[in-house]
Amino acid sequence: MFARPGLPSFDYVRAATPDEAIDLLEKHGEAARLLMGGTDLFVRMREGDIRPHIVVDVKHLPGMRTVTYNEREGLTVGAAVTMNQVASHPDVQARYPLLAQAAASVASYQLRNRATVGGNLCNASPCANTAPAALVLSGRMVLYAADGEREVPASEFFLGPGETKMRAIEMMTAIRFPVPPPGAVGRYLQLGRNKSGDLSIVGVAILGFPDGRASSSRPATDSGYGFRIGLASVAPVPLEALEAEDVLAHNPPGEETFALAAAKAMEAATPIDDVRGSSAYRKAMVRNLTLRGLRHVWKQLRNT
Amino acid sequence: MATHSITVTVNGSQEHLNVPSNMTLLQMLREKLALTGTKNGCEAGECGACTVLVDGDPVNSCMMLAVEADGCEVTTVEGLAHYHEGEVRLSPLQQAFVEHNAVQCGFCTPGMLISAHALLQRNAHPTEEEIREALVGNLCRCTGYLRIVRAVQEAAADT
Amino acid sequence: MTEELHTTDPVGKSVPRMDAIEKVSGAAIFADDMQFGPGLYHGRLVRSPHAHALVKSVDPGPALEMPGVRAVVTGRDICARIGLYLIDRPIFASDRVRYVGDPVAGVIATSEETAAEAAQLVHIEYEELPAVFDPVEAARQDAPLLHPDLAEYQVANFIFPEPGTNVSEHFKLRKGDIETAWPQCAAIVEGTFRLPQIQHVTIEPHVAVALWEQSGEVTLWTSSQSPFAQRDLIAQSLSISHGNLRVVSPYVGGGFGGKAGVSMEVYAVAMARAVKGHAIKLRMTREEEFVGTTVRQSLVAHTKIGCDAEGNLLAMETEYYFGGGAYNDYGVNIARAAGYSCTGPYDIPNVKGDSYCVYTNQPIGSAMRGFGMPEIHWGIEQIMDQLADKIAMDPTEFRRRNCVRTGDTILTGMNMPAIDLVACIDKVTQAIHWDERRGQARPRPSAPHKKRGQGIAIMWKAPAMPPNPGSSAVVRFNEDATVNVEIGAQELGQGAFTVAAQVAAQALGVPYEWVRVSAPVDTRYSPYEWQTVASRITWSMGNAVKAAAEDARGQILGIVAAHWGEDPDELDIKDGRVISYQSEREQPLKNMVVYGLPNEDFEGWKGGPIVGRGKFMPTYVTNLDPKTGQGTRAVVHYTVGAQAVDLEVDTETGEVEILKIASAYDVGKAINPDLIMTQIEGGAVHGMSSAFEALRFDDKGRPINANLVDYRIATSVDVPQEIHGDFVETPLEDGPWGARGVGEHVMVQTAPAIANAIHDALGIRFNDLPLSAEKIFMALE
Repeated sequence: MFARPGLPSFDYVRAATPDEAIDLLEKHGEAARLLMGGTDLFVRMREGDIRPHIVVDVKHLPGMRTVTYNEREGLTVGAAVTMNQVASHPDVQARYPLLAQAAASVASYQLRNRATVGGNLCNASPCANTAPAALVLSGRMVLYAADGEREVPASEFFLGPGETKMRAIEMMTAIRFPVPPPGAVGRYLQLGRNKSGDLSIVGVAILGFPDGRASSSRPATDSGYGFRIGLASVAPVPLEALEAEDVLAHNPPGEETFALAAAKAMEAATPIDDVRGSSAYRKAMVRNLTLRGLRHVWKQLRNT
Repeated sequence: MATHSITVTVNGSQEHLNVPSNMTLLQMLREKLALTGTKNGCEAGECGACTVLVDGDPVNSCMMLAVEADGCEVTTVEGLAHYHEGEVRLSPLQQAFVEHNAVQCGFCTPGMLISAHALLQRNAHPTEEEIREALVGNLCRCTGYLRIVRAVQEAAADT
Repeated sequence: MTEELHTTDPVGKSVPRMDAIEKVSGAAIFADDMQFGPGLYHGRLVRSPHAHALVKSVDPGPALEMPGVRAVVTGRDICARIGLYLIDRPIFASDRVRYVGDPVAGVIATSEETAAEAAQLVHIEYEELPAVFDPVEAARQDAPLLHPDLAEYQVANFIFPEPGTNVSEHFKLRKGDIETAWPQCAAIVEGTFRLPQIQHVTIEPHVAVALWEQSGEVTLWTSSQSPFAQRDLIAQSLSISHGNLRVVSPYVGGGFGGKAGVSMEVYAVAMARAVKGHAIKLRMTREEEFVGTTVRQSLVAHTKIGCDAEGNLLAMETEYYFGGGAYNDYGVNIARAAGYSCTGPYDIPNVKGDSYCVYTNQPIGSAMRGFGMPEIHWGIEQIMDQLADKIAMDPTEFRRRNCVRTGDTILTGMNMPAIDLVACIDKVTQAIHWDERRGQARPRPSAPHKKRGQGIAIMWKAPAMPPNPGSSAVVRFNEDATVNVEIGAQELGQGAFTVAAQVAAQALGVPYEWVRVSAPVDTRYSPYEWQTVASRITWSMGNAVKAAAEDARGQILGIVAAHWGEDPDELDIKDGRVISYQSEREQPLKNMVVYGLPNEDFEGWKGGPIVGRGKFMPTYVTNLDPKTGQGTRAVVHYTVGAQAVDLEVDTETGEVEILKIASAYDVGKAINPDLIMTQIEGGAVHGMSSAFEALRFDDKGRPINANLVDYRIATSVDVPQEIHGDFVETPLEDGPWGARGVGEHVMVQTAPAIANAIHDALGIRFNDLPLSAEKIFMALE
């Protein structure tokens, strides 16, 4: 009933290769867990939620801790890259400031030295700080299993609270982000019970960019600007407020359009009452934070 | 349960230890090395009383396994002062804490010092806001934080 | 340290804390840091998952079979109860559990991990009973009864439980004639105010190590505010002679009342008896801290007040229902103290007050910083604002008009000792520029979607103690004339050791830096101290140390006077030397304080080792009439103070940003002015945080947020930009140099000050705690 002191017993294994990690998952099934930052795993082990016999450390495997960027392929963030590493990386700050903001908003500086982006996404908490950014930046989860590598776009990755499209015997090795639209700016807003450091009651990620031209994935917007809005803590999964984005694509940017879009974002949210906030409050906060975020992003767009 | 033979440099001294898989770095420091300056306040990565430096980065030692620290350099509060010819020289930060009365019960103090020390290493002249942000993971119930912020400001000004 | 400090006459000076260097270097030892070697056993408590249930059977068998388990202790092994003013708590519940978390058994093993595993194997069968969580409901005749044997419990003679009910204390206050007063009122307001349980959240969790020797000697090492009180309670309940029970406590990593009585310590001692000869450590996890140690009581307060057309208060009627939790530690005395303080710091001629402590199936409600005062001031300071508003009077003016003054006959019939609350009000109103608020000069919010407001609240508190709480002290010298002060008071961070050293140094005539405080406090060696609670230590321990130092000083002067053939009245001690005003001779203290002084030509000696002793115990507190609460002297003294808050509310989110808190307290004499400031700052933040905190339970009484993720306390980014502290010095008649305490007072009225400021900003009043951004936002919508 109460969390135990210390961790229950288990065997720690450092996987020498990704295949060894997969083999261990295969061999031990539910009794094995992958270890990256441990900030979620250890807490749940103390609480008795999970009781692995084997904990497989994969942080050190090739690419897991690296961040690379190039102008063609975009950004690749190793699954075990820490929040602080992401937030302070010069290429992330320059090209994906929204991701840097989201990573920097997690808990405390100490926890950000252990908590990983991959872990945040794999755990798929509805309030995961980096999930809305992953959605609006069109992130793709790179997964590795016995049959090799595959990619799952963020928009398809989250299935429910704590549930993802990952198979039982699979690991995340990286998250890839395409080059953002030219001139893109972003803002991540989070409301917690403390001014910072808390889990989110509501999290809103807004990306804005000039968009006079069509791309392979979407038609050109009437308004000349494109916006993407990602929401956390207001549904079973992190979600993208598509109708709100539509409003912004087809209406001239300004207070009236933003208010309409914010209302649509609010409609998209289906929060529950929990210890952090009520459903009614969360819905209202989606509206108010989206509005704030849009104003902020719009200001940046006009200045550049 | 498996045990592991690890080598960790703690406050400049190399230690060879055998640790069980489930021992946290916090437990290793307190129980294997009797370095009790680092405190257990929650074992959940929330209070910051267990903060130490691992390869220069502040981490909650309750959220890290001892075996994960193999090959690392760890600094605890006991490693902040300099001992020189029988004399203890507190670091400028520790000195500032003393002078500003930034210490009351003292239980959060080791973690605060480590977090603040790490801040000044990466940002020699932080703003007040940056100091507060850097310390958000170190809870204090006694001081109200203001003296702590001022002590960090003073230590920053001295360097 | 680069310079050698040398501070003579330290009282009134902000000398550096004597424990600061130890604490910043990580050398300071707390209870969990003490080393006991490889033979140390570890304990874990098995706790009830039900809020209220009969215990049908306890089977430790499966746990005992686990390798490494040394013993399992249950209620049947102990058959004893413990309590402070009302002995109601079985040491390990045996026939009935009364809250989720109530300990039913204790497992002892060779490692904490083994004990934790084995604790899950103890098989207990329960039969659930209906539970009650609201104190008003619990006070009703038809409520589920938690303590059917209430009539059999031993109880202190100033506490009045009502057997056959859940009421463990009922304090009655009747002054004047309330019925004739109401018709005389030009304005009356009435309100109900509620607050939930909250927790101390000391950064150091509770920990106890106990060793029961085969010889019968028992030692308890623990983080404790009250080693002597813990010894007393545990000795009595476990039938150990006081002389055979030793309690040792090093630095306390935060107390706030949570380590003042007996919460988990008795279990460690009871468990130690099952493994004689082995020390056993019992450590609370943070989750257990929230509900398994003690909490601040919940309260439902109904209050009605009235004033005349000029704004003079005429009448107050009030009813308090404290949610005392499953057992009483300090709970009954909190209800009593609330009862005899129910007017707040106001002069009200007609008062009817009823204060109830009620058993509820919740964690043990007990002492937390303020001891009932924060709980009652939440409603008092808001309803005063409401009444002022009703007669269109400025709230600060209303308070100046009605606040208690020196010599007033207060609600218990006692004369108010000398204080200056008006000066405190003046200081805080000045600090937030209150008088400039009128008309155009009202402070503006920093953005169009924000609203700004200011609020004020005043407070009073007396130490809530039995009539005879004693302090004692010993002052001894080392050969080099450095001094050892022995006290039973505890250093919780408030600076008790520093103050003890300042007092001793001042009274002796030696530099502050020559004085050491003997620590840890150890009942085998330390002189008796009732408890480190009630903001009483500077006053009471201070008096005892002063007396001991003066005793030592008298001995020294007597010896040197005889040695010189002079009159001791012409001698003094200054800067560690005896000096004569008559002959201007000097005698350093060094060596003579141990070896004495030789006669001429070494024909004999005078003196010897100097040991000064002193004590202090108030002797003037009287009983209160159980029907009226009237008595000559209810309490020793009061500390009063005022706080003002300037804040902004973000109307788009409901978030509150505190811009400034201004505090002023009448401390009598600031022995160490900067330490008082640190109490004011810490208290303001603690008070602010407490307004937003709440322990939450589901409908079966199970805790929902018993962890730091979901029980949020103020962090470094939540702190106001500015905390302005000030103090007034109206000497306390029997305080050392006039000093009285302030450690609790600094957070008593912060929550209602914030509520008053929010009302000023938004026109919305919040009668129930906790405040939250959500609550404020939803009220605005």
